Amino acid sequence: MKNKKNLISALILLGGIPVIMAVGFLLFGGKQYAFISAGVAVLSCVPFFMSFERNSDNNSVKLVIIAVMTALSVTGRVLFSMLYGIKPVTAIIIITAIYLGSETGFMVGSVTALVSNFFFGQGIWTPFQMFTWGLIGFIAGIISEKLKHNRLILYAYGALSGIAYSLIIDIWSVLWNYGEFDASKYPVLISSSLVFTLIYAVSNVIFLMLLAKPIGSKLERITIKYGI
Amino acid sequence: MKAFAKIHPFVLMIYFLTIVTVSMFVSNPVIKLLSLAGAFLFSFMLTDKKEKLEDIKFYLPLALLIAVTNPLFSHNGETPLFFMNGNAVTLEAVFYGIDISVMIISVMLWFKSCNIIMSSDKLIYLFGRIMPKTALIISMAIRFIPMLKRRINEVSRAQKTMGLYSVQSYTDRLHSLVRVISAVIGWSLEGAVETSRSMKSRGYALKGHTCYSDYKFTGKDTAILSVFISLTALAFWGTSGGCLRFYFYPVISELNTDFRAVVTYSAFGVLAFFPFLFEVEENIRWTYYRSKISALRTQEQKSRL
Repeated sequence: MKNKKNLISALILLGGIPVIMAVGFLLFGGKQYAFISAGVAVLSCVPFFMSFERNSDNNSVKLVIIAVMTALSVTGRVLFSMLYGIKPVTAIIIITAIYLGSETGFMVGSVTALVSNFFFGQGIWTPFQMFTWGLIGFIAGIISEKLKHNRLILYAYGALSGIAYSLIIDIWSVLWNYGEFDASKYPVLISSSLVFTLIYAVSNVIFLMLLAKPIGSKLERITIKYGI
Repeated sequence: MKAFAKIHPFVLMIYFLTIVTVSMFVSNPVIKLLSLAGAFLFSFMLTDKKEKLEDIKFYLPLALLIAVTNPLFSHNGETPLFFMNGNAVTLEAVFYGIDISVMIISVMLWFKSCNIIMSSDKLIYLFGRIMPKTALIISMAIRFIPMLKRRINEVSRAQKTMGLYSVQSYTDRLHSLVRVISAVIGWSLEGAVETSRSMKSRGYALKGHTCYSDYKFTGKDTAILSVFISLTALAFWGTSGGCLRFYFYPVISELNTDFRAVVTYSAFGVLAFFPFLFEVEENIRWTYYRSKISALRTQEQKSRL
């Protein structure tokens, strides 16, 4: 069963990416790189969602808890939306992933991007945000043991994921605005969003400092109490 | 509710996907202008007077800003218009800036209409079939957001009454905030377990459970979908092979106006104006029926006299 699942995911990526590249070059000449990258971002999310859908461990308790954590990070993004670059989203995704695993981390991250954009406006940036936040949660779930026991690593991971988020979104901005990946324009964009990146990274660390204990202990308690 | 929003969600999704993809990735000025016109007219039908003013205030300066930024920073192109600080401001860069701004504004306007027309329940309905768990999470998360806000309010009010909030010190306020969030999370997670028990006892995980949906695929939907698909196929036939490709650098390329290109332009034009024309047709029909009703009423009153 597990092998079959991996096979289908691999087929989607191996088969889908060439198709998207072909369509990009044939139909959207001049803008093909932007189209291909958007398509690849969507495709990259598909295996995660598919394996989540098929995993029978994901019973109704887990679904409702994921929904609560997603709602919490969306509420955080909405409440802090007036403050430039400051949002507790990444911190909440990381903490959830540490206690509930990488699969849950990916779901909370990507669904947060999708649902919060119902408030901030959906756009072509949605798949990129879904994939980036999802990945931040997924990796946090993989290295959860280290993050749980060492506060310094946790803060470093929070800062790093803030920087990585900006860098990935900037790759997309270069592709979209200039049609191709122009190595000379990428540093310009990075430096123009430097303030945002710094605020974002620092605010991630602060939110992790504030929230790691209260949210973490609640999640740990609920997993032990109900055997999730 | 707008007439266009009553079309089946699947048809609407196909439409918005096509129109946004084409306006974003086809680099041809005619296609972009048609898309902008269609998006502008349609979004104008969806908004009320106040929102229209706000939109103009938002999009017009944004369009100008994008258009002006490019020639100031990009000095590619072969026709200098004038020199600024020793750098050439070129004709090509000016036009490329306008091109980018048309594209970005049209895509933003399409997304705006899409956000109004494709409400979250439609998206959940669409994805609920292929991804039932994910769709359920999305719909529950949307429902939990106002609940969490209410609970945060409730808990912080209770804390205030107990005198735990001190307004003077920032660290104190921060600690109170953390305490409130901690309480709300504990409350909501316990509630989550209760919700899931209730779902289970009502047969959520059982085989053969059905989902409520309000959407039916009618003959009208089939007709509209086939119109969309044939127009899209026509447009893609014209776009393939790079026949619409258009360059700004180093010199602005010539616009393709052969038969194939004109067919593509008109097919895409119809596609871009479709929602607007659909609304106009519906409005005309509505006023026609209304005038008919009032005519009947006056006739009746006369006959009574």
